[in-house]
Amino acid sequence: MNVLLQTIPLWLLAVLLFLLLRGHAYKVCPWFFAYVAFGVAAGLVRVLVRNYPHLYYATYWITEAGYDVLGLLVMYELIRTVLQKLARTWWGRLIFPAVLLAGIGLSVVRALSAPPQFSGLAFYIVTGEIAVRCVQALVFTGLVAIVLILGIRWRQYPFGIATGFGGYSFVALLMTTKFSDFGTRFTFLWGWTLLVAYSIAVLIWIWFFSVPQKPETPSPDLPAPSPGALKQHQATMEQYLDWLRRMR
Amino acid sequence: MFSQILIWLLVASNALGYIYLLYRAWTRVPRRDIDDVVPFLYPVDLSLMESLLDPAADFELRWRLSPRAFREAQRRRMRLYLELLRRMSHNSTVLAEFNSVLLGDDKFTSGPASKLEEEAVKVRLYSWCTRLRLCIWLSLPLNAFGVMPALACLRTAADLDGPKTYDDLKAAAVAAFVQLQPAELETLTRNL
Repeated sequence: MNVLLQTIPLWLLAVLLFLLLRGHAYKVCPWFFAYVAFGVAAGLVRVLVRNYPHLYYATYWITEAGYDVLGLLVMYELIRTVLQKLARTWWGRLIFPAVLLAGIGLSVVRALSAPPQFSGLAFYIVTGEIAVRCVQALVFTGLVAIVLILGIRWRQYPFGIATGFGGYSFVALLMTTKFSDFGTRFTFLWGWTLLVAYSIAVLIWIWFFSVPQKPETPSPDLPAPSPGALKQHQATMEQYLDWLRRMR
Repeated sequence: MFSQILIWLLVASNALGYIYLLYRAWTRVPRRDIDDVVPFLYPVDLSLMESLLDPAADFELRWRLSPRAFREAQRRRMRLYLELLRRMSHNSTVLAEFNSVLLGDDKFTSGPASKLEEEAVKVRLYSWCTRLRLCIWLSLPLNAFGVMPALACLRTAADLDGPKTYDDLKAAAVAAFVQLQPAELETLTRNL
């Protein structure tokens, strides 16, 4: 595969990293920022060592493991960000461990029924990778369900991050379960499809983070209330509170 | 084979999630203006709500009525509370939609765009959890077992106090729609 084409996600990640830095998004979603920064660094190292097969092999699997760990941490961050304002219940804290267990369980059962063609550490990394894709797919589906049930605005950073990961995990899981039927053409298809899917995921993140974050106050386009309007508002509030007191 | 089916289900649910998000992006929220808010609100009687959730009212009914009559009365009260919850959920949706139009729905945010949106989500979370419980209670043949749960335990759900959450939504609505005319604001609060 052409080196330039192979590095498309790297360039896109670099653009995303710039946008995250410009928008100070590391304050809002620090683990996602770490994931993107790691992605840029890992991509660069892979390009630099691509002519040394042994070194490339080691670098590839080490960075894959890094992607898996950071991918999980990003999922934890998303669940925490979305749920912290919704519920502080005991079961709210069990959601991430339950999703993690479900992902690991699915991956292990699959590895037992159709073992990956790897041995040693790579076997565990591939199994872990499938577990992370399952967790990402579960988190995305769960967040869409929350949007559907509670009518939350989906134009929020956590939902954008989940949409990117959801799309990528969708393609990765689809290929894992179905595309292996293609036999010898599988490796070629795997490489290209994942490259395109990951590039689309990064483009989704770029779209979400390229729009400046809106302050959590009414739009400045609205006319500022005049002192008279503020007085009226105060009077209405007092009237409303008085009405509430009487209701009780 | 079993894991294959589960992974296929996961992939299918992901695909459905994407279709839903595309649908949301395409259709957006209904473009409401102030004329489309007040007539669409259903009044929620907070005093009725408080009386339904009052443990003393439960106790009094249990004491005054025969067990059979109490179970009948309790089922009626459950249906009444279910209706109040539907109204609360509907009103919060209408307010959140109007608020989205005021703030500009096209923008991306790191969290809820306003206090009103946050309160609306809380109201919907409370009413969704409570409606689920009520629907289960109403669908079970509790009469046959001679048990009838008290409505007072529905005051909190998902760590949220129902009447207080709705009060907060009202206060957030008054604060968010400060630019309305006093008469419109009064109608709005009265219809909530």
